[in-house]
Amino acid sequence: MCGVFPGKTPPPRRAYVWDLPTRLFHWALVCCVAIAFVTAKLGGNWMAWHGRVGVLIVALLVFRLAWGFVGPTYARFMHFLPTPRALRDYLQGRWQAQGHNPLGALSVFALLGVLCLQAGSGLFSDDDVAFAGYLAPLVAKATSDRLTFAHRLGEEVLLALVALHVGAIAFYALVKKRNLVAPMITGWAEGRPEESTRGGGVKPFLLAFCLALAAAYGASGAWLPPPPAPAAAEW
Amino acid sequence: MRKHPIAVLFGSFVAVALSGIASAQVVGKVEDQIRWRQSAYQTMAWSMQRIKANVEGTFNKDQVTQAANVIAALANAGMGALYQPGSDHGRGWRETNVKPEFFKEGEKVRELAQAFNREANEMAKVAAAGDAAAVKAQFGKLGESCKACHEKFRKEEK
Ligand code: HEM
Ligand code: HEM
Repeated sequence: MCGVFPGKTPPPRRAYVWDLPTRLFHWALVCCVAIAFVTAKLGGNWMAWHGRVGVLIVALLVFRLAWGFVGPTYARFMHFLPTPRALRDYLQGRWQAQGHNPLGALSVFALLGVLCLQAGSGLFSDDDVAFAGYLAPLVAKATSDRLTFAHRLGEEVLLALVALHVGAIAFYALVKKRNLVAPMITGWAEGRPEESTRGGGVKPFLLAFCLALAAAYGASGAWLPPPPAPAAAEW
Repeated sequence: MRKHPIAVLFGSFVAVALSGIASAQVVGKVEDQIRWRQSAYQTMAWSMQRIKANVEGTFNKDQVTQAANVIAALANAGMGALYQPGSDHGRGWRETNVKPEFFKEGEKVRELAQAFNREANEMAKVAAAGDAAAVKAQFGKLGESCKACHEKFRKEEK
């Protein structure tokens, strides 16, 4: 470790805050959402990929939701609930802990929530031209129309939240001189080693992983009865 | 036979009046027009689904050709005639979803409609040739031309 910090300054003490599954989830989600945006804008036959990457996003979200309950310390939702008290402490500069700060936690919950709505509505959306979400056959057209409307609205909401999220990170980097990106890549942040994240072993991981697989299967519509073969029409 | 000047005058008057009617030939009331155009788009949607089913499942050239020809026929039908002034509001099968800009940005409408025309005619050609991969590629382009117009001129159903 000392090799990374040569010279007289003592190596800063570090804590392991972001476990590997959480980090993998985070960057996979970033990639998938970017692909979802690009494929939706390209349209045409790219919509098939929009649907596929959308199902992957469903799986990622379900994994994260489960990991938020059975994962290690700093991945748990209960650990970073942005309660009014935590927010007040934070805004008055009295908040001292590892993991998401209460304001960042708000952003995390908002992003996860809106992404769930976005992916959920997408499954029932229909562009009236060439592509529909895999579960659209399950609902009435009027319902699908409403969810399509929500899905399109979600685009702007999501862009705004992403801008806020990235903006906050930039603010930390430029104004507060704190790098929040590196810990999300390496897992390590400044802190005391005894603050490191704990728990979330193999068994909880397998549980969350299986739930994610089940969600992907459900979202893919593969379990729906196949449409009848097109009948040969005589006229 | 020499025509009487009054007859000439009368005749030309009638001719002008008739040509005036012909050039402003409006078929159907506003609600008829809206209903017809909605029906035409639904028929295109049906045909798009048929092509898609054939591209994704077993490819049946005859079905694809039927569907492609339906779309091409509607694309070449002069559907612009179903967007008479005043049909920006009204109820066909449901309340019209055309945006008011449709009636103000004629140049853009023409551009999008002609692009759709080209892709629809190309689709019919490709379908007749019967190559599934080519049909799939052209299906994508055709769908894009539908969506390009929807994005600009079609209100979203809420
Ligand atoms: C969180 C993940 C997702 C994001 C960020 C996303 C984003 C988008 C965006 C930006 C559009 C374009 C809207 C427009 O034309 O203005 C779109 C359209 C669409 N998406 Fe998604 N989407 C996601 C998940 C899904 C899923 C899981 C499905 C279904 C499998 C899906 C199905 C659709 C459909 C059918 C449309 C066409 C709607 C239309 O043009 O009327 N999306 N999506
Ligand atoms: C094959 C390509 C197309 C398909 C599959 C398609 C599909 C549809 C469908 C299903 C509707 C809903 C009809 C209803 O309300 O019942 C619709 C409406 C509409 N489409 Fe398209 N469309 C296509 C091409 C176009 C093009 C090229 C334009 C622009 C010139 C266009 C403009 C509109 C407008 C303005 C409406 C609203 C009509 C109204 O409510 O009065 N569409 N389309």
